[in-house]
Amino acid sequence: MLYALDKSLSSEEGFAEVKACLTSPLAKLVIWGLLSALLYHLVAGLRHLIMDAGIGETLEGGKLGSKIVIAVSVVVIVLAGVWIW
Amino acid sequence: MVTNVTNLSRSGLYDWMAQRVSAVVLAAYFIFLIGYLVFHPGLDYAQWHGLFAHTAMRIFSLLALVALGAHAWVGMWTIATDYLTPMALGKSATAVRFLFQAVCGIAMFAYFVWGVQILWGI
Repeated sequence: MLYALDKSLSSEEGFAEVKACLTSPLAKLVIWGLLSALLYHLVAGLRHLIMDAGIGETLEGGKLGSKIVIAVSVVVIVLAGVWIW
Repeated sequence: MVTNVTNLSRSGLYDWMAQRVSAVVLAAYFIFLIGYLVFHPGLDYAQWHGLFAHTAMRIFSLLALVALGAHAWVGMWTIATDYLTPMALGKSATAVRFLFQAVCGIAMFAYFVWGVQILWGI
């Protein structure tokens, strides 16, 4: 990722090269994979912060929260897929 | 109380706080970047270069890079001390865990220096 950032910022040609590389189906799949992991981590992390605030700390709240995290993650991951393709 | 010598701050509470604060910084940076890319579909080099050349963006990026190092260290330390234990690995656990943490530390340092070079090179 840093290599791509470096290349895309180094010059006009580098930017075009990275852009061209990201149009291939394999690159899109890899980006989607990385983005999915990051989005799930983000949603689950937000749940941690909410639970730190004392919300949803009961057994029932914990179960419900984990279901919400999975549901929200699936939605944003699908949206990310739509955005990439 | 956490007394392991390899934790970030020698205080479990401070590590906990560092993990949360860095998480908020990373969430803000990530959501901003995704938002920027979503709202600039036909992004060209001049726009992209201009974004990262802006002083505010450089500070934000550097902050996110520091936060990434701290966040990753606390996370990987937690995993290493939870799973790479004598109970799981026997006598070699300390050596394996130290090696694992050393690799993590070098990787984070390398990413940090590389990131600074990219941000300040443009």
